[in-house]
Amino acid sequence: MQRSGFCYVNGTPVLETRNLIKDYPLGRENVRALDGVDFTAVQGDFAVINGPSGSGKTTLLNMLALIDRPSEGEVLFEEKPTSRLTEGELALLRREKIGLVFQTFNLIPVLSVAENVEYPLLLTRAPRGARRERVAARLDEVGLSGFGKRRPDELSGGQRQRVAVARALVTQPRLVLADEPTANLDSTTGKQIMELLQGLNTDHCVTFLVVTHDPSVVDYAQRVLTIRDGRIQGEEKRGAPRPA
Amino acid sequence: MARLALRNLSRNRRRTLLSAGIIALGCALSLVVLGFVERSRSLIQESTVQQFGNIQVADPALLDGRAEGFEYLIPPAEQAQVAALVRTERGVLGTTAQLALSGLLAVRRTTAVVRAVGVVPENDVLDYNDLVIEGRGLGPADVGAVLVGQTLADELGLRPGDFVNLTATTVAGAFNVSPLEVVGLFRFSSVEVERAQVFVPLSFAQLLLATDGVDRIVVRLDRLGRTWTAARAIGVKLDAAGIPLEVRTWDVLSPFYQSLSGFFDILFGFLVAAVFILVFFIVLQILTLSFLERTREVGTIRALGTRQGEVFRLFVEESLWLGLVGGGIGVLAGAAISFLFNAASIPWQPPGTVQAVALGVDFTGAVVLIPFAVSVVSTLASAFLPAYQATRVSVVDALRAV
Ligand SMILES: Nc1ncnc2c1ncn2[C@@H]1O[C@H](COP(=O)(O)OP(=O)(O)O)[C@@H](O)[C@H]1O
Ligand SMILES: [Mg+2]
Repeated sequence: MQRSGFCYVNGTPVLETRNLIKDYPLGRENVRALDGVDFTAVQGDFAVINGPSGSGKTTLLNMLALIDRPSEGEVLFEEKPTSRLTEGELALLRREKIGLVFQTFNLIPVLSVAENVEYPLLLTRAPRGARRERVAARLDEVGLSGFGKRRPDELSGGQRQRVAVARALVTQPRLVLADEPTANLDSTTGKQIMELLQGLNTDHCVTFLVVTHDPSVVDYAQRVLTIRDGRIQGEEKRGAPRPA
Repeated sequence: MARLALRNLSRNRRRTLLSAGIIALGCALSLVVLGFVERSRSLIQESTVQQFGNIQVADPALLDGRAEGFEYLIPPAEQAQVAALVRTERGVLGTTAQLALSGLLAVRRTTAVVRAVGVVPENDVLDYNDLVIEGRGLGPADVGAVLVGQTLADELGLRPGDFVNLTATTVAGAFNVSPLEVVGLFRFSSVEVERAQVFVPLSFAQLLLATDGVDRIVVRLDRLGRTWTAARAIGVKLDAAGIPLEVRTWDVLSPFYQSLSGFFDILFGFLVAAVFILVFFIVLQILTLSFLERTREVGTIRALGTRQGEVFRLFVEESLWLGLVGGGIGVLAGAAISFLFNAASIPWQPPGTVQAVALGVDFTGAVVLIPFAVSVVSTLASAFLPAYQATRVSVVDALRAV
């Protein structure tokens, strides 16, 4: 057993990729966006995949989030291959086990803050009482206790991203994936979001995987992987994940 | 999820109001037209039953108009048998017999071909005394008395108290003529009846034709709606008793009612189809745009684990609400228009009638339900294709949409 913050990690792989390849058709040719990615994330990991724009980060994240399928290779979720699963089975897996945070927040504008956070629980058909309780707890955690009745357009960018983080965690997923979560925020707010993610990683012992081209995000990671031209170039492990 | 569907309608209020308004307009329009058609139809039904009774039992040769002589006459014994048999049927209020004849009505130097209908005076099944507007009706003691329609009376210059001669051919083929006193003038909704039909006591008609038979037995029922089941049951009983008579219902007996009712059906059917198609295409345009705008949101909720079927249902549910709201407003608007129409009592003379009636619009269950259902169904129908398309986009493409 390895200790990481307050989260005891037992090394069970949550997510694993084997020789992931993704080709996009471009005219008559193919663009290879991912070129043989092998990557494993274990329970409690806080990994950052860092790389320049166009290096294949979003493409990789979409495969890991099970919203896109690789051209070749396999994504294993909780040690089970996913390539044979139907769209419906993948959707069920996503709603129960995966939380997503988007660069552009992607809140549903017609729903209140609390309803946005509640949405994944409606999908899992959690009972009403449990939904209320969990929504309140997650909003409290992201520092938005009094904001439940507000509409997303009444919030600042940073607040919206906090709502999105609460939404990603509300079903107590095994894995939270974030695609450039700080790219639409100023640097101070971006740091606050990263600190929030880091704290939640420790508190919930959830695997976090953040892709970014923002070098400052790297400071929060235990593992930093560098991606370039669709290949993982190298990995740097950081023992105590505390930024300066 | 129902909450999200409903909330989605508030997304673009102007657009929602526009679509609901179009649905409501279609609904209200077809509601008022259907209400008008149904009111007119029931007016005509009333006057048809007033003329023919609910059901008539007679010889098929007479009913089909292919009688050559008087072979269709029903002798007294058979008449009694039929009456007894019919009375056992549920909902039958009573029966009466009639005997009609063609004759020549002569007044001074003018003559008119008439159909004289012999009726049992003051019977409680079908007598025409309540149509009398001048003079009096036929009484049980009358023999040589006649009720003449207002139109014919005007043409011949007749007044109550005047005498006319009626000439006809007897069953045996001899000419027979008898004087009659005009005791009353009647008005009937149909011009044809007023001009060409007179009413005489049954006993007089039998005397003139030199017969003791009648040509039909008229059946009165408690409810109009019972007509067809009762007719079928009576037909079965007649067959079982070996009586070679046939049963006809009021709607079949009146070619005028049949053609008008058919015309109403076509008119309304056409209108409903037009409204359905119009609402379908306009709402289809609006919903296509509305769903397309939300492609990214579809991507988001699908990434969060919403299945394609659930997204589809969300959109369909949203348009169901739209249809219900639009249809509901349409019903209210239709009710208001109907109310105003009925309150204004605009005079209207239905085709083939003698008196104007107030232009009326019915507001009953069916009149409300059909246009409402049509609005909801056409709204739902317009949602299916765009909703299906919205779920077909891949999650990744949907998320990339602006
Ligand atoms: N849907 C697509 N169709 C064609 N090419 C694509 C598509 N998505 C991404 N690409 C290409 O794949 C490469 C990696 O893109 P992406 O994963 O979005 O990079 P990043 O997120 O690191 O900026 C880029 O060259 C990009 O142009
Ligand atoms: Mg990207």
